Formats: sequence, structure tokens, C-alpha cells
Amino acid sequence: MATVAPPPAAQRRLDRLERIWKGPSGLVGWLTTVDHKRIGILYFFTSLTFFALGGLEALLIRTQLMGPNGEIVSPDFFNQLMSMHGITMIFLAVIPMQIGAFGNYLLPLMIGARDMAFPRMNALSYWIFLASGIFIYSSMVGGTAPNAGWFDYVPLASRQYTPGPNIDFYTLGLIFTGIATSATAINFIVTIFKLRAPGMSLNRMPLFCYAILAVSFALVFALPPLTTALTFLELDRALGLHFYDVAFGGDTLLWQHLFWIFGHPEVYVIILPAFGIATAIIPTFSGRKMVAFPLVALAEIAVAFIGFGVWAHHMLAVGLATVTTIYFAAASLIIVIPSAIQLFAWIITIVTGRPRFETPLLWIIGFIVLFVLGGLTGIMFAAIPFDQQLTDTYFVVAHFHYVIFGAAVFPLLGGIYYWFPKVTGRMYSERAGKASFWVTFVGMNLTFFPMHIVGLLGMPRRQYTYQGDLGWNFINLLETLGAYILAIGLLMIVANLVVSYRRGAPAGDDPFGGDTLEWSVSSPPPSYNFPVIPKVSSPYAMWDREDREGDMKRLEQGDVVLEGGHETPSSTLLDADWDEILDMPSQSWAPFLISVTLLGMFTMLLLQHYVVALGFAALTGLVLAAWHCKEPQVA
Amino acid sequence: MNDVTRSMDATDAAAAALTAQRRRSRPSGWWGMALLIATEAAFFGTLMSSYFYLRFQVVEWPPPGIEPTPPEGPLLLAAVLVATSVPIFLGSRGARLGRTRAAWAWLALALAVQCFYLAGQIGLFIEDYNKFAPTENAYTSIYFTLVAAHGAHVVVGMLLIAFLVVRITRGGLTNYRLIGVQVVALYLYFVNLIGIPVVLTQLFPSL
Repeated sequence: MATVAPPPAAQRRLDRLERIWKGPSGLVGWLTTVDHKRIGILYFFTSLTFFALGGLEALLIRTQLMGPNGEIVSPDFFNQLMSMHGITMIFLAVIPMQIGAFGNYLLPLMIGARDMAFPRMNALSYWIFLASGIFIYSSMVGGTAPNAGWFDYVPLASRQYTPGPNIDFYTLGLIFTGIATSATAINFIVTIFKLRAPGMSLNRMPLFCYAILAVSFALVFALPPLTTALTFLELDRALGLHFYDVAFGGDTLLWQHLFWIFGHPEVYVIILPAFGIATAIIPTFSGRKMVAFPLVALAEIAVAFIGFGVWAHHMLAVGLATVTTIYFAAASLIIVIPSAIQLFAWIITIVTGRPRFETPLLWIIGFIVLFVLGGLTGIMFAAIPFDQQLTDTYFVVAHFHYVIFGAAVFPLLGGIYYWFPKVTGRMYSERAGKASFWVTFVGMNLTFFPMHIVGLLGMPRRQYTYQGDLGWNFINLLETLGAYILAIGLLMIVANLVVSYRRGAPAGDDPFGGDTLEWSVSSPPPSYNFPVIPKVSSPYAMWDREDREGDMKRLEQGDVVLEGGHETPSSTLLDADWDEILDMPSQSWAPFLISVTLLGMFTMLLLQHYVVALGFAALTGLVLAAWHCKEPQVA
Repeated sequence: MNDVTRSMDATDAAAAALTAQRRRSRPSGWWGMALLIATEAAFFGTLMSSYFYLRFQVVEWPPPGIEPTPPEGPLLLAAVLVATSVPIFLGSRGARLGRTRAAWAWLALALAVQCFYLAGQIGLFIEDYNKFAPTENAYTSIYFTLVAAHGAHVVVGMLLIAFLVVRITRGGLTNYRLIGVQVVALYLYFVNLIGIPVVLTQLFPSL
């Protein structure tokens, strides 16, 4: 689409909108911003940093395991590395990248809104996420990082067996992150419910938004069990209570139940946004609408829902009653149905379309292949004897890395390529993009496929080292080699994007012929997102050319430009009838300050200065009060 | 689109009430609170499930040497707490109709009754604490955690009401505060009602 200079009346409106929505510039601008795009970018770089840290930890683990009897790191540091690798990748890298970065940046653009439903709470989520990440990583400075694995089983994690502050960083840090994640989830649900452009009834909402909606609902109900489990553990450790202490009537399996009631929905929380990204990329590059749109939307929600009924399949080897294990094994098999619906819908959409195998689609195809492999090993675990034989071996590590790295991170990387032109206004290098895909794909398989074999040979996960006569040496060497190739592949992506950001060709508004509304605005999008609240009559709003041309005319006429302030429309829940024009809050210091006071509070809880912690809680309350004294209508 | 209300224009009580009445669906704030309540309900659900999970791990509950809590005091206080839902409802209704004074007065009354409730609850807590410590066994651990968690939620609810009472007294009703009243009312209905299963769980051995 060629950019034509708009007529003067329209240009005046655009200037006015820009004046209203453009926040302060510089550091103050970033610290006080409530713009979902800026917050998305903050999330992106923060979670990318944690991703790099988690990757470094993984490389150290692989280097330690490169050959038998390795002594690159000490046993205790190894435990910290593998615990922190899991915690970082799940809580601080992948989920914030998907939901915080992609969700934040894209969701309001896809539904035709000018911001999230609660812009200041959105900023608060980011700052709390950052503060909790700093809190957790500060444990590494003193050499007391969490060391009982990412699922932190008791009694190993109890005070008796881990006396240092390691686990306290884990419990308090994850409660801290949980606040941010809950707030984000609530924000997304309300944004989707209330802020869709008038006319975007639920059946006209893009599938990416369905995935985010399903994930947000899963988080709302999955985080409380984790918070409860962590609270119990911290009370046990800090105050000497006895939730998990068998000698005093407690029960160690209580931790496992509570953790996995959270943990399994969490697995789908990790993978569903990736499904969402796949459903955004596939139609664009296949040149056709998704096959079976309603089924795919329902399947996304079904995955999130069924995810709550399968937690004990992580516990098939701990000695639950047989009837219980059979129920959970059977329930786990049901997940195959909604997953397969989506899988076939993606494949058929590509096959029956006119696919252009450009970089983003390549990542999605890689994702489909890896998801099938990871899914197949997942089904194997639903066979109870098989699970009991292979639990806690490298076979499990292979399985969940195929699912998490292959199926969740690959679409993320594809998504980074896909939306890079939109966010930066520049094209990436197609050749280097394809090369980075193949290197990463080969590295990924070389790292994780041999883990299946070494797991079948009996190598336990989380093992510090191994003897040379077990037949594991060559396989482990291969894995380590793969890990370094994988790292090179990821660095190639970074290099491509850094160079393209400086020297890439201008991308234009819609370089790929995308199907959703973010492609209707300039690249990068203006601070007010949409000059005119867009008209929507299908989930592929960008392909409805009459609507988009109509938007241009309405800008000239000044129809529904909403230029009276930070204004955005609010709609009814199902049909998206126009209900109200909301006045959104502008930049605020409160979210940043609250993250600081909360960081103080959690630090004091860690040091067991409970009165000072209460003081910080009171300070948080004061900032909250100041926040709510600044009302959009009065200010 | 001239028939659509602009929340920006709703700066006084009457205009805010008109906006509230013309709104066809619940405001964003209401949904935000409903979802917070959903996650809080899941939290209390997990706490109470943990209680019963621990209870069915052992034969004797409470463990030997600990008397079951006498039910009269906690039940009476729970009834008082649930009763505060009435003035909160009337305050919220007053706000929606733009009656600033009614909103203010009913909320203040609810707050006063809640203070009474909280004092009684602290008294009972100390009484329990003198009989058995949270660190004795799994029963005492979950017992005190459950009661304290609910108490903490009541305190948060009271702080929210106190904040609203001060804001309305000082500056009357605006669109933002009107939604605030409705949202805080919703939260307190939840805190009050979840008090019933919490107290029944707390008193489970003596019922």
C-alpha cells in the first residue's frame, strides 16, 4: 500500500492525536509510560535479558556434562544452575516474552483499541515483574540461588535440608512475580471483553486474541494454588509451621499436588500464546483464512480448560492410588483431541493455501514438526508403566524441551521476525533469517533428540556428573555440541535484527499482506494506535478492503476520531456494540514507585524483619491511594 | 455516535449517575474486580482444600491435646460480617443514583460495624493463640493461616471503604469514584460471603 499524504484536515487531526497521546520523552518517559507498546518493548528487552541468562546457565550445564567426571562447576553451583535455568526460562523469560511483550504490544492493535483496559496497572505489572526478577537473581550474587529444582519438592526444600536463604528467594520471588502475572492476566481479559473496536463481536476476534484470552483465564485460576503452596512453604521455613512436615501431621505430597495444579495449566500457558502466534502467521503466508476457525478458537480454550484436570500425571510415580493414576493418565490423553484439531487446521490451511515459505512461516513449520515429536513423547507418558520407568530421566528432559523450546519458543522466534517490520519500520534480511532458522533447528534437534536415547539408557535428570563406562559419553558430547550450535543460531537472529534495525530496507505499513488490524497502521505504530476507530466486519479485518478505505474517508470527515483526550471506545461484552467513550489515564509514577516499595517489602520478608516489611506495605498503600486520587476526569 | 456517553464529561454526581444508568454493560473496573475475586476465590478454595487434605491424612482431628474451637463466637461474628453487606449495598445504590450523602453515610456505617467485627475477631484470635500455637502441628498451622488470611482480606476491604469515604466526603462523587464504590462493594460482598465457608471450615471439628 503506497502512503499518500493525507489532506490538511486529516493531518490536523493526526497532529492533535499525536500531541494528546505522546507521553514525555527520555528516561522519565520510559519510567512513567502507560503506553502498551512501550511497555511491550520494555517487557521484550527485559525477558530477552533473562532468556540470555537462562541460556548461559544452560550452556554451563551442558559444558559440565560434556564428558564424564566433569568438574567445570561445583556440585552445589550445578544445582543452582539447573534450578535457575528452569525458573528463569519459565517465569522470567518465556511467559513474560509471550504475554508481556507480544500480548501487550499486539493485542490492543489487533482489537482496534488505543490502549489496555487498565494502562497504569499494565505498567505496574511490568515494574513488578522487573523487580521480582532482580529479587530472584540477587540470590546469585551471594551464591545462594534456589537449588532444589524449578519445582522445588519438599522435604528437600524445607529448612531442615536447605538451611540457607536459597529457597526463600524462590518462595518470595515467585509470590512477587505472581502479583505481576495475575494483574497482567486480569488486564488482558478485561481488555478483550471491553475494549474491542465496536463491531468486533467475539466471533470476529482474531485467533491470537483467543489464545491470549484462554491463557489469561488459565493464569487467573492457576496462580492461587502456587501462591498457597509457596505461602505454606515460606511459613514452614520462616516461622516453623508444619504444612509439609510429616512428623507433625503435615504431608509432603501436598506440595506436589498444589504445585502441579498450578504447574500443568502453566505448561499450557506457555504453549498457547505460541499457538496464537502460529494462527497469526499461517493465514498471512498461506494467503487464505484459517480452516475451521470456530473449532480452533474452541480448541484453544479447551486446552486451557482441560489443563486443570491432569496435574497428577506429573506424580504417577509417587505412589498415588491406582484409580487416581488411571484417571489422570486418561484425562491426559484427552488433551490430544484439541491439540490435534489445531494441528490439522494449521497443516490443512498451509497445504490448501498458496504458501510463501518466508522466514516466519519457516519457523512455524519447524514448530509443527517439533510439536508433533514432543506431543508423541507426551502421549507415551500417559502409559503409566512407561512413565514410572522413565520419570526423572533425560527422556523427560527431552520431551519437555521439545514442547517448550520447540513448540513454544520457535513460534516466538518466528513472531519476532514477523512483527519486527511492524515494530521497527524496517525489513529483516530474508537470507540471514532462513539461515538462522536452519542453524537453530539443527542445533535444537542435536541438543535434545539424543536426550531421548540417553534417558532410555537410564541417565537421571539433574545429575551433576556421570562415570565414563556407562555408554553415555558420546551422546552427551553430541548434546553439548548441539547446545553451542543452538546458541549460534540464536545469536544469528540477534545479529540479523540488530543490523536490520540500522540498515534494513523500509518496510512500509503492510509488508506481508497481513490479516489483522496491526498492519493497517504505520510502522512503527503511532502513539495513539488508530487515527480512526476501525470498522470491523470479520476476524481478517485487514483483508476487508472496503472497511479500510472507509476508515480513511472517516478520518477526513472527522467521524469517530475521538480527539478530545485519551479517548477510546468501550463496547458491550459479546456483540461489541458501542457503549461508552472512555477517558484513559496518562503517564504516572505510581506503578514504578509501587514496584520499589514492594521490592523493599519482599527483601525485608526475606531478612525476616517483619515490622519493617509491614512499613513497606503501608508505603505501598499510600502510593496506591495517591494513584487513585489522580482521576482522569478531574486532572 | 452522539448517543454514546463520554466518561470524560461525568465530573459531578448527577452526571456520573447518568453515565452509570445509561451504560448498557458493566464497566471495565467491574470486570477487573470480578476477575480479582475469581482469583481470590481460587486462593481460598485452595486453602480450604488443603485443610481437608491435611485432615484426611490423620485419624484424630484436631490432634490429641487440642480442644475443638467453641463455635458460638466465630459464628456470631461471621453473621455480623455478612450483615455489613446490607449497608454496603445501600451505599452502592445511593452512589449509582447520585445521592452523595446516602452513599457516604451507608459506607461509613458499614465501616463502623466492620471495626466492631475486627475487634472481636482479633480477640478470638488471641484467645486461640493462648490455647495452642501455630507451630504445634499441621492442624494449628492451617487453622491460623486460614483465619488470618480471611482477616487480612477484611482489613484490605476496610481500608478500601475508608479511602472511598474520605474521597467522597472531600470531593463528592465523580465517574471514577462511583465505579470505585461499585467495585469495592463487589469486593466486600465476596469477602463477607467467603467468610461463611471459611468459618465452617475453621469450626469443622466442633460442628
